[in-house]
Amino acid sequence: MRRRVLLTLATVVGLSIVTIPSGAPSLEEMFVATTQAAEEAEGALCLMPEANDGARGSSRADDGQATQIAIPTRSDAEGGDLPPVRMVVDPYPSFNGVVVDSASDLVMMSDTNRKSLLIYDRTAGSATSKQAANPKQQIMGPDTGVGFVAGVAMDPVHRELFTVNNDVEDRLVVFDYDARGNVAPKRLLYVPHQSWGIAFAPKRDVMALSVQTPNMYVVFKREAKKFDAPIRSVRGPKTAMADPHGIYFDETHNEVVVGNHGNFRPGELITSYTAYDARESRQERTGDAFDESARGRFVPSSITIYDGDASGDVAPLRTIQGPTSQVDWPMGVAVDEVNNEIVVANNGDNSILVFPRTANGDVQPKRAIRGALTGIKGPMGVAVAKDEIWVANFGDHTALVFPRLAGGNVAPRRILRNAPAGKETSGFGNPYAVAYDTKRREVLVPN
Amino acid sequence: MTHLSRTTHGIAYDSTNDEIVAPNPLAAAVVIFRGGATGEEAPIRTLQGARTGLSRPETVAVDEKNNEIFVGDPGDRRVLVYKRDADGDAKPLRTIQGPKTKLLQVVGIAVDPIRDVLVVSTYSRLPGGVTGLLMFGRTDEGDVAPKRVIAGPKSGITRLRQIGLDPETGKIYAAVINNEYLPPYDIDKPRRGLDPNVDLPSPWNTGSEGFIGVWDDEKDDGDVPPRSLIKGRSTGIVHPAGVTFNARDGEVIAPDAVWNGLFTFLKPELFGRNAKGSQ
Repeated sequence: MRRRVLLTLATVVGLSIVTIPSGAPSLEEMFVATTQAAEEAEGALCLMPEANDGARGSSRADDGQATQIAIPTRSDAEGGDLPPVRMVVDPYPSFNGVVVDSASDLVMMSDTNRKSLLIYDRTAGSATSKQAANPKQQIMGPDTGVGFVAGVAMDPVHRELFTVNNDVEDRLVVFDYDARGNVAPKRLLYVPHQSWGIAFAPKRDVMALSVQTPNMYVVFKREAKKFDAPIRSVRGPKTAMADPHGIYFDETHNEVVVGNHGNFRPGELITSYTAYDARESRQERTGDAFDESARGRFVPSSITIYDGDASGDVAPLRTIQGPTSQVDWPMGVAVDEVNNEIVVANNGDNSILVFPRTANGDVQPKRAIRGALTGIKGPMGVAVAKDEIWVANFGDHTALVFPRLAGGNVAPRRILRNAPAGKETSGFGNPYAVAYDTKRREVLVPN
Repeated sequence: MTHLSRTTHGIAYDSTNDEIVAPNPLAAAVVIFRGGATGEEAPIRTLQGARTGLSRPETVAVDEKNNEIFVGDPGDRRVLVYKRDADGDAKPLRTIQGPKTKLLQVVGIAVDPIRDVLVVSTYSRLPGGVTGLLMFGRTDEGDVAPKRVIAGPKSGITRLRQIGLDPETGKIYAAVINNEYLPPYDIDKPRRGLDPNVDLPSPWNTGSEGFIGVWDDEKDDGDVPPRSLIKGRSTGIVHPAGVTFNARDGEVIAPDAVWNGLFTFLKPELFGRNAKGSQ
């Protein structure tokens, strides 16, 4: 039950220290240099704050030998271009969304931390390896448009890769299957602010995106680009969406499944504009004629299921919600269309929940994968393919693969690592604020 | 159970009462935790409801001397002030709102109980809108003009976010992010009015370089440069969105979303005589 605060309120007490090379001529080179510096310093655990011989910090290398880091006792360079005395940067990827192409035996995951897409063989990873797996491809760099990415999709027919930026960048980018490195996307689509999940529907040739603040999902044509508008949206009070994240388009049963965190503001407070401009736009549009009594509330986390052709303010066909369901901060959702099951990455309690596809109400999951042996830590993405369940961990440098029928406190069949075993994650996800706890001498960072 | 959201753009630590205060803009709430909270722990108090006036709280500050919580809410372009121990659907003690206030996208707030100054960071794309720091009286209320405004080209501010304030020195620490967000998104006609061939800012090159700027909450007014700043290639920060400080050790701390990291700088000269390393 620790995951929620670890995800959203990271208390930084152990700091990895790196030194940033100075004088880099460009932002791009600086990013690469910073990442390399972080990788080189990785494993150094700060033993702040007590100093020896004038230095303010020391580190412990991987071999256990304490070594001094040359941290100055003050840094007051003129002009303010001074190096940090400490820096917390995780040099490794952090998995977020996950999708499997069963036909090509590929798996793709988004990486929020280093801002990349990683593609592996579907059978990569092992139950015992402690080393990071080598991706077949990594798409990363300033030309890619990949930033604070979340949802992912693969289209094996048109051989296209999709990912959507959840914050700041407000765009979905599309790459060819064989793209790698710092490449420009073959297509770019500007999307509503806080789009999170992608649900690709190949038969319809459309993709649905969940959007957090307006409590909606929007449907675009697969080939939509630039400023193309969605062909329809599902939004409004009847939908019961509340801070939607995971989304899956089940074309077999013509349904769309959405995972909702439960943060809710009524529609009167929302415009179609980005959150950052909502109020300005709303005032301009309404002349201050807004409902003062319309405010927010918390509702229980839920899984809501809609007709695949739904449009506008429509009620869900079914809702899984309540204490018996155990749904708690659902991130990714997936449907096993063959075996009629809904699979949920239940971030709130570090579990995977499996429901009958037709479940409705406060019902118990058929199976729950949960416990210390599972290695599930901050699950974000989930996918079902070839009788396996994939789980992308955000709280650990791993993705986990379980047999489809796994349940209880069981070890995964395979572990795919993006860092050597034992490397902790910073937990950062686009940090925008900070506070200092003077009592505990801790830095508080919300995501 | 925590009632936090994945979108939390503000946070404050109340050292007197050992509490953590955080806004939840997606549920129009402010949640208060005990200082040692960990895991999936429920808040000890929650502000939420029609009487609170909260619509999209972005930023919070605690006045430990006067036992008040300040909330910056761009949803209704206002500042709301509550009793520190307010809970539930509580009415604010005071509200600052209206055209004279120049409050627009309120993204940072800090209070100086010694000099009775309230500082708000705000930005806007609206014609005539202010992007900068607004200084009000701590107990101001209603549609009041700020007493001072720090904004303009000499300030270096083109966009800013969280601010911190050290009551011991009266120094304001501002995260001047200086990036560019995208124009508003209209679901029926995205990017209305834009050239269809325009390339909008990329996440890797979103504008001018940001910095941490330091101003004085009583002495500075108008288009004035920061008295001190942290900026440049050596710093590692590009678009800092947050800032705080550890006065005891003379440190300024800033997260940077470009690197998804946290940076600590030693600036003891900015703090009082008790800071380690100060001379």
